[in-house]
Amino acid sequence: MQLFSCPFCGPRDETEFHFGAEAGNVRPEPAASTSAEAWADYLHFETNPKGPSREIWVHTTCGEFFLMERDTVTHEVKGSQSLRRGEA
Amino acid sequence: MAEREQFWSAPPEWETAEITRAGFSARPVLGLGQVLVSGQFDAARETLAPGAPEAGLWSVIEGDRYLVRIARDRALLVTSQPLAIQSGWHAQGFATSPADDGWSVFELGGEGLRDVIAEAVSADLDRGSPSAAVQFAGTTALLYRTAENRARLHLERAVAAYVWQWLETRKG
Ligand SMILES: [Zn+2]
Repeated sequence: MQLFSCPFCGPRDETEFHFGAEAGNVRPEPAASTSAEAWADYLHFETNPKGPSREIWVHTTCGEFFLMERDTVTHEVKGSQSLRRGEA
Repeated sequence: MAEREQFWSAPPEWETAEITRAGFSARPVLGLGQVLVSGQFDAARETLAPGAPEAGLWSVIEGDRYLVRIARDRALLVTSQPLAIQSGWHAQGFATSPADDGWSVFELGGEGLRDVIAEAVSADLDRGSPSAAVQFAGTTALLYRTAENRARLHLERAVAAYVWQWLETRKG
């Protein structure tokens, strides 16, 4: 069992959380002039880093989406950050 | 066609249901007012229940009206009786959804309370949490206290019978 930290609720069991996406994977715009390759890259291809990573997770119990920095090898969690402007 | 109703155990008669053991007791709390508040928490409190205290995980709350925090922008306003609050958007920056019967409420108590809760919840109760929402026996619940050894549990109505049965089968 591992603890993750929700920016609002604090440390909770990992089972209360769900992986959302890799951080920084921005949807290509405008859609009309986005190539099929760029769209497929956005949808299907992950960077899948070995080591330090930045990911979007959701705390399913309260519904908060946030940025989590963790290490995919050691599973060490470096920190969590709210995605809201002006929130710690 | 199978009688699907028989797949599930019958819910108890909530008016008379109780669990009474040497170290643990539980009873449904009926007739509370419950309004789900979504949006700006401070504005909602100021408008609906000025000065009402806020309950987080395992915190002890007093009084007959208070806000149980669910998330940064969501809380359940609990009152001793249902309120006539209109459903919908309020210009102050929040929405209200009357949900008096949306959640079932159990009161749990006794010397063995902590042991029973420990079987259901993995969160660190002594550390607390701004949000009273927590995974309880595999389902999402709101958990706080009204006295040192007395807890209240709000569950979405659909899972109340399951959690009641779960509580009945604890040794505590
Ligand atoms: Zn949370």
